[in-house]
Parts: sequence; C-alpha cells; structure tokens
Amino acid sequence: MVNLILLKNVIILPELFLGLSIVYLLLYGSVVSTYKTYPLIQNLMLKLSALVLFFCVFLFFNDNEFFVNNSLLIFNDTIICDYLSYVSKSLIAILSLVCLLVIKYYLKDQKLNQFEYTIVILLAILGFFLLCSSNELITAYLAIELQSLAFYVMASFKKNSSFSIEAGLKYFVLGSFSSALLLLGFSIIYGLLGTLNFEDFKILYSTYTPGSSNNLILDSALIQVGLTLILISLFFKLAVAPLHVWSPDVYENSPSSSTIFFAVVSKLGILVLLIRLFQHSFHGYIYNWRYYVVGLAVLSVIVGSVTALEQRKLKSLLAYSSISHIGYILISFSTGTLEGLQSLYAYIIVYMLAGLCIWSIFLVLRLKTFYAQKQNKDLTDYALLIKSNNIVSICFAIVLLSIAGFPPLIGFITKMGIFLSAIESSMYFVAIISILTSVISTFYYIRIIKIVYFEKILVGSLFHPLPFIESFIIVCTFLSFIFLFVNPTLLYLLSYKISLLGFL
Amino acid sequence: MTEFILHQIYFDNLLLFIFSSILILSALAIITVQNSIYSVLFLVLNFVTASGLLFLLECEFLSLLFIIVYVGAIAVLFLFVVMMLDVKILETSKDIFKYLPAGGFIGGLFILEISLLIGDSFFNNPYVYDNIGNEFTNNYINFYYKLDFFTDINVLGQILYTYYIVQFLIAGLLLLLAVIGAVVLTMNNNSQKTKKQMFFKQISRSYKNVLLI
Repeated sequence: MVNLILLKNVIILPELFLGLSIVYLLLYGSVVSTYKTYPLIQNLMLKLSALVLFFCVFLFFNDNEFFVNNSLLIFNDTIICDYLSYVSKSLIAILSLVCLLVIKYYLKDQKLNQFEYTIVILLAILGFFLLCSSNELITAYLAIELQSLAFYVMASFKKNSSFSIEAGLKYFVLGSFSSALLLLGFSIIYGLLGTLNFEDFKILYSTYTPGSSNNLILDSALIQVGLTLILISLFFKLAVAPLHVWSPDVYENSPSSSTIFFAVVSKLGILVLLIRLFQHSFHGYIYNWRYYVVGLAVLSVIVGSVTALEQRKLKSLLAYSSISHIGYILISFSTGTLEGLQSLYAYIIVYMLAGLCIWSIFLVLRLKTFYAQKQNKDLTDYALLIKSNNIVSICFAIVLLSIAGFPPLIGFITKMGIFLSAIESSMYFVAIISILTSVISTFYYIRIIKIVYFEKILVGSLFHPLPFIESFIIVCTFLSFIFLFVNPTLLYLLSYKISLLGFL
Repeated sequence: MTEFILHQIYFDNLLLFIFSSILILSALAIITVQNSIYSVLFLVLNFVTASGLLFLLECEFLSLLFIIVYVGAIAVLFLFVVMMLDVKILETSKDIFKYLPAGGFIGGLFILEISLLIGDSFFNNPYVYDNIGNEFTNNYINFYYKLDFFTDINVLGQILYTYYIVQFLIAGLLLLLAVIGAVVLTMNNNSQKTKKQMFFKQISRSYKNVLLI
C-alpha cells in the first residue's frame, strides 16, 4: 500500500524546514547580492543560517513523539525516526551551529565573500540529517551524495588559492570513485536479496546461521563482495588507514572554515549509516566481516599514531590524529556487542566535542603579523601561547590531554570503554596493540603542550584579542569536558539507550 | 512451438552477446585510446549499446532516455569541450607498460573473483528448486498478473511521485546544489575584465598545433 504524505510524516519537520529555508535563503541572497552596489552579505547570511539551525535544534527537542514511540517508520519505511537518529541529528545540528558561529572572522580575513558558502554548508548538514534517518539504500546513497557534493564545493571554495582547488579536485575525484564503489555494492546486494530496506535485511538475516544449506542466496559469497564494497567506500569516506591518503591533503589545503566541518561533523553521519547497516541489518552476518574491520582498525590506529609524529603543521597533525581515532572507534564497532556500540557512541561524542574545541581555538587565534599570507598553520606559531593568552592555552592543553586519554579526564573514560569492550569480546591482542599505540600517540599531543608552555625562546607570537562569542564557545566546550568528567552518566545514558535500540 | 521459442531465445541471447561484447570492448577503448576525440566517440558507442541492452530487457523508456540524455547532451558536450582544449598527446605508452603488470594483476584478480562468485551464486536458481533439489511442481501462473497494463513511463512516474517522493525531493536538492556549486566555482565577480576576441590568435590556430596525434 502506497502512502502519500500523512500527518505522522510531520516528524521530519526539521528536515523539511531546513530544506525550505535553504531555498528561501538562496532567493534572498541572490536578490540582495545583485544590487548595483554589490553589498557584502556574508555576515548576514552566517547569522541567518545559524538562526535556521537553531530553529532546527528547537524542532528536534520539541518532538515529543520520540519519547512515546521507540522507532517510527515513515514514507513507506524509507525514513526511520528512532533514538539513534534523534540523538545524532541533534548533535550534528548543535555542533554545526557552533561551527557556523566560529568561522565568521576567518571568512572575513580570507575574503570568502560569496554568500553561497553558508548555503552549501546548510545543504551538507541537510544531507547528514537525511543520512542519519535513512532506512533504505537509495535514501542513504542520495544523502551521502548530497553531503559529499557539498563538501567538494566547500573544499575548493577559495578560488584564488591553487591549494584549495587542488584539495577540491582531489576530494572530488577520489570521493566520486568511492561513491561508485558504494553503488556497485548496493546493486549487488539488491540483485541478490531483492530488497533495499534495512528492516527487510534484518528480517532476512535474523535466523541466519553460517554454512547451513537451506538459504542458498543468503549464504552466497557474493553478498560478502557487496558488503565489502560498501565497507571500502564508507571507510574511504571515514579515512580509515589504507584509504586515508586523501584526508591530510584535503584537511591541509582546503580553507580552515571548511576543514572544521570535515573534521567535526562529517564522521558521525557515516558512522550512523555503518551502525544501521552492519550492526542492525547484517548483524547476523557479523562473523563474515568483523575480521577485516578489526585488521583495518588496528592498521589505522598504527598509521594515524606513527605518521603524525612527523607532522609539523597543526592541520595535518589533527587529520592523522582523526585517522587514529577512527581506528579506535572501529575496534569497538567490530566487537558487535552492546558494550561495543555503547563505547563507540560515547567515544564519537567526546571526539566531536574535542575536535570542536581544538578547531575553534585554531580558527579564532589570529596572528598579528603575516596572518593573511600564512595563517597560524605551523606548530611553532603557538610557541609560548601561555604568555600571550593564558586561558586559551589552558583550554588547549586540557582538551589535548583529554583526547590523548589522560586519566582524570573524560577522554580516558571513553578510551578505556573501547579497550574494555575489546577485551570483553576476547580481542586481547587488538587491545594490547592499540593501548601501546595510544602511548605513542600521546607523544605528539604532549609535544603541542610543550610548545605552548615550555618552549625555550624569548619572544612568542602575538595574537589578536578574542571576540566575545568565540571565546564563550571555547570556554563552554572546555567546561563541558569538566562537566562530563565529573558526571559521565549523561554520556552513558545517551549511548546506552542508543546501543539498546541498535539491536531491537 | 517450442522450437520457435528456443529460436527466439537464441536470437535474444545472440543480440545480448553482441551488444555486451561491443559494450565491453568500447569501454576498454575509451580508456586506452590516445586521442581524446576518439575516446569520446567510443563513449557514444558505449551508451548506444547500453541502450540496446536496455531495449532487450524491455525498458524502453530508460533506453530512450539514455540516448537522449547521454548521447544527445552529455557526450556532445564532452566532444565540444575536448575540441576546444589544446590537447597535447603525451608519450603514455611507456606509462602503460610501467603500470600494466601490477594493475593488470590486481584487475585480473578482481575480475576472476567476481566472475567465479557470480557463477557460484547463480548456478542454481533457488526459486526453481526446493531445498532437496526437486523441481517445484506447482507451476501455476496467473496470467492475468502477467499482462502489462501500464507503459514503462507510467510505472516509473507512479513509483517516483508516490513511493519515492522523499528521494525525489532529495534528488532535486542535489541538482540545486550542483548548480550552486558550478556557478560559485566558476563565477568571476570582476566586472571590469570583459572578454575580448583576439583575432590574431583565432586566425592563427591551425590543425597542426591544436591536436597532436
């Protein structure tokens, strides 16, 4: 039975609102910016899109339906609204709202004056919303394309810089190749199973036992080829180790206001799709794919930790550190247990918060000299930051220690959750290797702290004073770390409810 | 009667083999031919044979769409772009031999695995035989359901505008984003710089220094 738009479909009201307001913002911007005086409306558009995102957050929080129903399938079972999509969408909306507030001065300095920039960002966020709530392969593919096409444009947005153009082209060619692999995997799975719906996959594989002869198609190795192609493509988009080569280049060369979105927001949506496909739908098939995932996870932890020792620039260092963090996340993803899913979600929340804090510090600190030519990209630009700005350097140091996993901080608790979930599912060797590698990775975080605090030079570099909103954001994210350390129950409550819903 | 059906099946298979072999060969030729104009022409051949395959599968609308959109618009656009660029043909034959062993090995391995798996998966049709291997005896077919009531385009429209309404909207947003991105990345706001025709340059273009084959 085909249903048209019903009243219960209003549950995707935030997405509808966002899509409509994108169209209105585009109309407004194109009308105003073509006046004869060419007014610059970038600042205005930033504030308007922040307002739109704020209303999206409000609409998410306003939805009482989530607390009544466990999961709601709408639009002929192609869109799902459950706790996982609810929490992920709210997180993405809040974090990207903060990112939009942070990038204002960077855009002003770099003269990225086209008003379409924020519209492209909003379209990427819309893609993430749809990706988080997609319950079907076609919807997931379209949402991934929406966000990645927006990201290609964002990477190459600074047209007068050949670095930015190079980053955008690299991202575009490699990303569309991985999208083609994704489509090939989807079509193989559709050809074998004859359905696109995640719930149907779940039903098909609910009674599956490997090697039994009465399900010829379910047992065929071609399913594994399809799933492997999907995994390759999604791992490419997450920058997991053998497929990570694009990410430091793209992070380094694209404008920093785009990089903050790549680093902070982009991982969660694709992880939600991975959870839906592999932990929910194909969970019965887990023994055929988890070994590869474990191997790639350990490899990316090692690559991300060892290669980052060589980096002299902050952006590519953070790119490599994000590769190793994705490795940790995949370790707990490959356990396939409730604890693994819970520690995965707790880890990704803390990772996104830490990324937000570090990247906003990176964006907000502006050197007084030579900022227009070279931004504060090098690590040496932060030498003796403690003398010029005490509070920011304390925030920087504490957050770096937290993502390195120092004991009295929230990063330690979530990282320990990952290792515990690996040990509980008898992956001792993996746990030992990743613990040892995390010791290596602590070195370069501590080196940044050493540069900020104890560098033996006489004069550090001077920075512009921080504006109010940006410093407020930095302090708020920093205080959220303190709060989460004192009271990690909030984090565990969210992630535990998600891990329950992943298996229901 | 059965002979007629068999004949028809063989004829269909013959067309299928012809089309798909031309498709594969032209797809190979697209990436191996040095001259980019030839490569675009092979692309056109590729699309035409693909639409022939779709005709065999009785997807008339899609195949006609292939011809109109891909051959009529996109391939011609490619052809224009290729003819406008000053393409210098490089010595790529050395590169091919450099990358052939490793790339050919990996590609051949991939093709071998996929073809083995496809043969493995579709050797037995599970919907004809039951678990033990006997053929299903209940061959009742309600021919009323087998009749085509709708044309192709009608069915596609029905599905697209009702079942996949959200996906249709997302595809619309995707197109909007593509337009915005293309305009933003290519628009030049410097209105002082007007484009001028350089007559000397235009006249002095000759066949020799445009295309080196």
